[in-house]
Amino acid sequence: MGFPPTVSGPGALKIENSFLVPAPRDRVWRFIQSAEEVGACVPGCEHVDVVGEGKFKARVRVKVGPIKALFNIDIERTEEEPMESASYSTRGEEGGRASRLSARSRLTLRAAGEKETEVAYASEISIAGRLGRFGAGVMKKKADDLGGQFAEALRQRIADTPA
Amino acid sequence: MIYLEPESVPEAVAALAGDEDARCLAGGQTLMAMMNADLVMPSTLVGLRRIAGLHEVTETEGMLRIGAMVTHARLAGEERLEGARAVVTGSGGGGDDVSISGRLEGARAVVRDAARQIAHPAVRNRGTIGGALCHADPQADLPGALVAAGAHVEIAGADGVRTAPVDGFFVDYLESSLEPGEMLTAVLIPEGPQGAVGAHLKFSRTDGDYAIVSVSSVVAMQDGVCSYARVVVGSAGPAPLHLDAADALLTGSGLDDAVLLQAGDLLAAAADPVDDVRGSSDYRRLLLPALLARAVGAARERFDG
Repeated sequence: MGFPPTVSGPGALKIENSFLVPAPRDRVWRFIQSAEEVGACVPGCEHVDVVGEGKFKARVRVKVGPIKALFNIDIERTEEEPMESASYSTRGEEGGRASRLSARSRLTLRAAGEKETEVAYASEISIAGRLGRFGAGVMKKKADDLGGQFAEALRQRIADTPA
Repeated sequence: MIYLEPESVPEAVAALAGDEDARCLAGGQTLMAMMNADLVMPSTLVGLRRIAGLHEVTETEGMLRIGAMVTHARLAGEERLEGARAVVTGSGGGGDDVSISGRLEGARAVVRDAARQIAHPAVRNRGTIGGALCHADPQADLPGALVAAGAHVEIAGADGVRTAPVDGFFVDYLESSLEPGEMLTAVLIPEGPQGAVGAHLKFSRTDGDYAIVSVSSVVAMQDGVCSYARVVVGSAGPAPLHLDAADALLTGSGLDDAVLLQAGDLLAAAADPVDDVRGSSDYRRLLLPALLARAVGAARERFDG
């Protein structure tokens, strides 16, 4: 049945979204400061380690049907405006250098009344190597899907945590 | 990687058991390309070609039972795929001697019409119905055609054999409802409503490419009124897109252009197509109502004649 043409390269994949969390902004800010808490909301994230001030290592599993990958990633906080926003730079690779990914992401918080916070995120991801050969259209859908799962998990986790 | 060629379905199921990364190899037209690109790395490959029963086409209890290893080329020439069932055979391109009128006849014809339009002759000679379904690519032709034909899938696993409507088989991009250790053994296609016609309309950049949008339809009319309609859209989201509400709009109507566009708009609103080199998401949604009107309009004209 042939094989889909692909698009990969810097900025090939952009995802952005925003969602409401039922908690005041200071509480959401404290929550996202914790690598363990945020890691627990990332779909497929198996492990997070804090390795320094604003530096983390994580292991994340991703899957599209029979296509499976396990990435070891390094995350570094590059900018921070307390209570407002934080930016991150991410680099990752599969064992054996089969695929490499890099991403620049930004998280922004905006108070929406006293009891709710709007969380917005934007990410530019590029993938090289074997997964870079996979169809970009489906990859984008999958990335949006993972973003949606992350948002839902974050909302749920903050709602379930006593203030 | 281990390569096995069992000679029976139970042996194949045993080979798949307890290994999540084991895969069946049918015609290999997509799987081999994905393995060459290092995208899929099965631990065990279970070649199905020696299992005789998987190559058979038989008629049982009003169902045409098509073995998982039956190729697209055989489907395209399968005369029992008439009526609604012909939705499956449509494969485009030169060389096929299936005329437009021939492929529209009967509900099963939708299957034949789709198979005729898959890729090109070399792929149709090797590629199989079972492989195409298990790959679960919503851009492919057979998934939508089989949903339009109201087909069922027959699945074998450690606990025996089960059948299920093909609608629920497609879960997400490249993901079917097959559980680890299960394999697809056959597709069952009902005769479909009396006097229905089936057709698969594919819009693509070049002959043999994946569809930008495809429409599979099975339609019947009596005295100028649509008595049955089942319309499915491919390349419109993570699985073939089928809406009962769209079928309900068409059924009982005269299938006039306004109703066809209305049904098309309904489906376009529910569609969630990918944005890629073949076409943007918006472009695909824009095409959908026009293609639906063209596909079902052609069916309507057959009843006018």
